[in-house]
This record gives sequence, structure tokens and C-alpha cells, in this order.
Amino acid sequence: MVKPPAISARSVSFYYGEFQALRDINLEIAKDEITALIGPSGCGKSTFLKLLNRMNDFVPGARLSGEIIIGGVNVYGPQADPVEIRRKVGMVFQKPNPFPKSIYDNICYGPRLVGVKKKSALDEVVEKALKAAALWDDVKDKLNKSAFELSGGQQQRVCIARALALEPDILLMDEPTSALDPIATAKVEEWIKQSKLSIVIVTHNMQQAARISHGTAFFYMGELIEFAPTLTLFTSPKESRTENYITGRFG
Amino acid sequence: MKESNGVHTINQGLESGSKAGYSNKIFTLRPRLSPAEKGSRLFFLICAILAMGQMFLIMVFLFKEASGLFISKPGSPALSLVDFLGRNDWYPTYPDATFGALALVAGSISVALFSTFLATPVGLGLAAYLSCVASQRRRELFKPMVELLASVPSVILGLVGMAVLAPFLQQALNIPTGLNLFNASVILAIMAIPTIASLAEDALSAVPRDIQDASYALGATCWETIWRVILPSAMGGLATAVILGLGRALGETMVVLMVAGGAAQIPNSLFDSVRPLTATLAAEMGEAAIGGRHYQALFALGAVLFLTTLAFNLLAWHLSRRWRGAR
Repeated sequence: MVKPPAISARSVSFYYGEFQALRDINLEIAKDEITALIGPSGCGKSTFLKLLNRMNDFVPGARLSGEIIIGGVNVYGPQADPVEIRRKVGMVFQKPNPFPKSIYDNICYGPRLVGVKKKSALDEVVEKALKAAALWDDVKDKLNKSAFELSGGQQQRVCIARALALEPDILLMDEPTSALDPIATAKVEEWIKQSKLSIVIVTHNMQQAARISHGTAFFYMGELIEFAPTLTLFTSPKESRTENYITGRFG
Repeated sequence: MKESNGVHTINQGLESGSKAGYSNKIFTLRPRLSPAEKGSRLFFLICAILAMGQMFLIMVFLFKEASGLFISKPGSPALSLVDFLGRNDWYPTYPDATFGALALVAGSISVALFSTFLATPVGLGLAAYLSCVASQRRRELFKPMVELLASVPSVILGLVGMAVLAPFLQQALNIPTGLNLFNASVILAIMAIPTIASLAEDALSAVPRDIQDASYALGATCWETIWRVILPSAMGGLATAVILGLGRALGETMVVLMVAGGAAQIPNSLFDSVRPLTATLAAEMGEAAIGGRHYQALFALGAVLFLTTLAFNLLAWHLSRRWRGAR
């Protein structure tokens, strides 16, 4: 049985003003799998990721053609509501960016926006989200402490828990470990591997993509060069540009 | 051995190390300063001492002159602090002079509070517009204009209050004089708006972009993001802006001297004339005999003003520090 894709991008082109950042991207991202986007700086992988939850809406002069279908709906269609989309498609950023609030209030931010008010319901959400992010045992006794008091890796997992509290269908991760030390990175990677979510992760680190993802897409100069199961892409790439990149000839 | 300025050199432990060629001793690294650099350091130190020293001397002088009022001497009975601040009988030039400054303090407080009340919504609104609504180009145009507005001499604003606002108020409201609490507060508010707006805009812009992104990514609308993330983060800075605006209104002299009306009374309505501390000082100092009781009373008013504005500035400083600590 073949599952329907979590995300399908159809001939997506994207412009920052006059600059074309993405050229005719066609990509089907599998449900419940981990998909890595790799490529050198400025190749368009982060831009593509941010298109998936409409975080590029804030960029002045941003233009798009093509469509991105998530859950049967075109994210950029006339009926689409960016607020609704961002609740279903969560995001974790490059640098841990907890709010200057307590751990508890960080996790509750999303649920409170959708109108959850009852303390018991919020307590439950917080515990579930922190357990899912493998952080519960570390922080259960200091939920009312500021999130800034945690280590970088713990802060990043607070951000993951904060996104999970809305029970998103898809989680986007934009180089989530690039600001973390190796031990914290290992913990976040461990979490990614055991989660059963559809995850799209942008990474600068090819070893990381090889370690954790099922499928890998290689972007270069705004184009999608190759998209294949991770093992295939790293052992027998079809394109010479992919091979040159993964063997370290450029990038 | 020659080094250029500022290069870190090892100043200690060379001796003991030279025997065996190495040493386990821990070295302290220090820059080696040239005579010119030492000289300029001394110069800056003297500048700092001069600036702080004159501040200190002004304080000493102020309190020394003021203290005479509260110390009993032959021919001049001591005034208690309670009578000075709590009684409403400022008759400094009567043969049997009394110095109850309550009406003057009330004048200062009412003008400062009401002008802050007027200036705060406009100032904060302007700041919100500049940092959240305006396009990059408009912000770059408006921000320097707002800051330029803060440098308009207060006497010019006072002229506007006298020549434009006062006749208008008098006619429109059919009141005996347009030179009153309301007029002074409006003019002071105009003066305080740039201060409040500029400081508040700094506070709003200092809210990191990444936590705003986090809010949007969790499905918050623009309004929810302003309300739940930007405002709480900027709160300390916004409060600082308002308090400094209040301090400015409290210490401002020329405007209140020109347009507040100058009647030493406790105001009953917004359209009563008042006489703030600053205006009293400016108007009466010229006629007070040096060293006399009137003179001492004016210095005591100055000391009250000094302590109040100092308290406001300390509060603002404390708030802005706490705010920085939170982020």
C-alpha cells in the first residue's frame, strides 16, 4: 500500500524581488518519514522549507508560481489560511528561540492561541509535548523557571515540544542542530529518529542527513538536482553534481 | 625587546623560565602601554573626575543653602519639613513671610502627570507605528524627524502656547485665562512625545526577530504576536520611556513659566492657573536677597526637585536594567 505524500510541490518557482531563488521544483515528500534537504549555502533549501508553512510571506517582494499541496489543499490557494497552515505544519528554527517566558508558558503558547484555557487541559498538553520531545524528565520539576535557564540543547527541545503541543501533521526543521554542541546534537537527532512524524529537515551536515533521514533531496543554485532514498543518493548518485558535492569537491 | 602599542606581552616569569628553558608558572598577560597612551589615560581620568566632581559640588551647594531654612537661628525660626511641604501658604515677600510650598508641589505634579497622560498614548502609538507598521523607507524618514523634534528649544514651544493655544482656549471655553494647567500640559506633552516615542521605538525594535518568527510559526496572527510576544518583551523599555518623559516634564521650566499662569494655588480643575516648582524658582530667584530666608526656601524647592527627578531617573535605570536581564 502506498501512502499519499505528506507534501507535494509542483513546478514551484520563487523570487526575492528580481532574484529567482527556486527554479521549477517538483518534489513529493513521503508521509511519516524523515526527508533531508541538503546543498551548499544559498542553494534554496531553506527558502523551500519556509515556503511549506508560508514563513516567506513576511519577506518583502516575495513572489511564487506553482503549487504546494499539503493534506489535499494548495497552501497558496485562494482559500488557504496561513495561520491554519502554520498550526498544522510546525517549525523548529536554526537557533533555539524560546520565548522569554517560563518553560510551561512556552509550551502553552500555541494551545492558548487556539483557545485552550483550562489548567488541567494545558497541564496535560505540556506533559505530553515534553515527553514527546524527550525533555520531561529533565524539566518536570522546574516548569515555572525561565526557558533561558536551560542549556542550548534543552532550549532547542523546548522549541520542539512547543511545536509538538499543537500536534502538527508535519514538522519542519531548519538546521536545528547547527547552534548545538555534539552531545546536544546527538540528543536532538535521537529524538528525530524515533519520532513517528513527517519531518522535513534542512541540514548543512551531510553526515547528519545520512544518519537520520529516509530520503534526501540535493539542491543546487535554486534547482532540485536529485531526490532519492538516502542510501541510494549517498552511495550511487545519478547526477555528477550530487556526487561532486557529497564527495566534498565543492560546497 | 620592542613591542608596538597594545600587543600583549608576557611581563612576568621570564627569569624563572629561562633557567630550564620553560616553566610551569602561570603567566599574567598584560598590554604594555607607551608613555603617550599612559598620558591619554590620565587625561580621560581627569575629565571623568571633573565631571563627577562638579555634579557632587552642585549637590553639596544645593543642600547647604537649603538647610538654612530648617535650622533655627536668632531672628529666623526653623521651618519644619512638614510645614514646608504640607502647608499651602507660599507668601515669601510678606513682612511675616511663610513658606508652605504645597501648592507649588501640587502644580508640578499635576502638570507633569497630566502632560504624561496626554503624551503617553501618542508617543507609544507613534513608536508602534514606526517599528511595526511603517515601511523601511518611512521609518528611515520619520525616526530622525521625531528625534529632531526633541531639540526644538522649549521657549519656542512656550511662545506657541502663549500666542496660539492660550487665546484659543480662552475663547473656545470662555474662561478667564488661557494660561493654565491644561495649556502647560499640552505644550509639555508635545515636548515629551519625541522623547517617549524615540525610546519606546528602541525598546520595540530590540525585541529579537527570532521570537517573533517563533510566534508566527505557531499560528499567531500579527496582532497576537504584538500583544503576547513583542509588548511583554519590550515592557521594561516602554515603562522607562514613559518615566523619562515624566521626568522631563517635571524638570521643564521655560514652558511652565510662560504658559501655566503662575498662580500659587492647588488646582481644582484642568483650567486653573498653576505655578510649578521650576517656574517659581525661575521667577523669584532674581528678587530674593542672597542668604535670606526666601533665598533658602527657593534652594529647598530646588532640592525637592532634584531629589524627585533623581528618583525618577533611578527608577527608569532600574527598570531598563531589569528588562535587559530578562532577555
